[in-house]
Amino acid sequence: MINYLLLMYEFIKVGLFSVGGGYATLPFLYHIAEVYNWYSAKELVDMLAVSSITPGPVGINVATFAGFKTGGLLGALIATASVMLPSYLLVIVIYKLLNRFNENFYVQAVLYAIKPAGCALIAAVAVRLFRDYILRNVDVFNIYDITAFVDIKALLLLVGLFIMSIKIKKDPLVYLGVAALFGIILHLNFS
Amino acid sequence: MKVSIFNIFILFFKVGALLLGGGYVIVPLLVSEVVEKRQWISKDELLNYCAISQCLPGIIAVNTAVFTGYKLRGKYGALAAAVGMCATPFIAIVCLASILGQLTHMPMVKNIFWGVGIGIIIMIFLTVKELWAKSVVDKFTLLLFILIFAATAFFNFSPVLSIIFAAVLGILYKLMQKRMGK
Repeated sequence: MINYLLLMYEFIKVGLFSVGGGYATLPFLYHIAEVYNWYSAKELVDMLAVSSITPGPVGINVATFAGFKTGGLLGALIATASVMLPSYLLVIVIYKLLNRFNENFYVQAVLYAIKPAGCALIAAVAVRLFRDYILRNVDVFNIYDITAFVDIKALLLLVGLFIMSIKIKKDPLVYLGVAALFGIILHLNFS
Repeated sequence: MKVSIFNIFILFFKVGALLLGGGYVIVPLLVSEVVEKRQWISKDELLNYCAISQCLPGIIAVNTAVFTGYKLRGKYGALAAAVGMCATPFIAIVCLASILGQLTHMPMVKNIFWGVGIGIIIMIFLTVKELWAKSVVDKFTLLLFILIFAATAFFNFSPVLSIIFAAVLGILYKLMQKRMGK
């Protein structure tokens, strides 16, 4: 029971504070992984991979997933409903004030400041993923043995995808497809 | 013409099932389904909802669905839209969740997830780039970005507190600007 209430509380917070859509829920979900043992950071990344290839917004997918891991079907329902609840209430209130909303001084001041904040939170997640995927043990940094420090295959794939994303603008699914393909190719064992 | 709650549910059920690759695709999907095929609302109205949805906290696709549903049939319309949109994603994830543990132990799946994980770093980078262009517009927003980025990336500062902190600073800064007669 307590677990379900906590689940509700945490996912309402996710829905209320994530600014910037899509990946904006990630900083909060990482925070949850650290505070509770509902799922690990590694599992979160797996969930993220799954939700990139299943329909629906990433935020909803991860909420469903985390809820299911924590409290089965009921947990999944609670987490999904909770992450949507603030949106539901907020939109209905805003709808009624639609014309005044655009001109209100305080609303504008808050939006002006929380947008770069939301952007910064998402950027911090990228740093974290970079650390998890590309870097190995930071303590053993040794200029002569760079492979102990950096996962060369991962770095190659990242740089390749980065160049691709700048040179050819494609549907996001294309990048993920290419990434998945190289995930297989780079791990082929020819020996 | 009054659109029935059931039809709203069905429409968003369809949209939710087609929503691949993140929530952003909802805009073109809704334009074609709600504006062009069904003519329930005008394109201007819909694009206005989408624009406000992006500014509001929460999941953008959910915000947009609730806006559209509310416009059509009030709070029950909004509920039908939200529930309809989440139905397919919910079922898909629940089905996958129970077998994911076994799946991720398979070498092939593990390698695919490893690749996709790196792909996601790029996706996040692209998101940040896009949001940056819209949100970091002057010295104050730049400073705020750097501060919150450093605090959360290197010191594990709470994301919820970061947003509250930014909101308060934003109000103070704008009030100060007003005082100084800018």
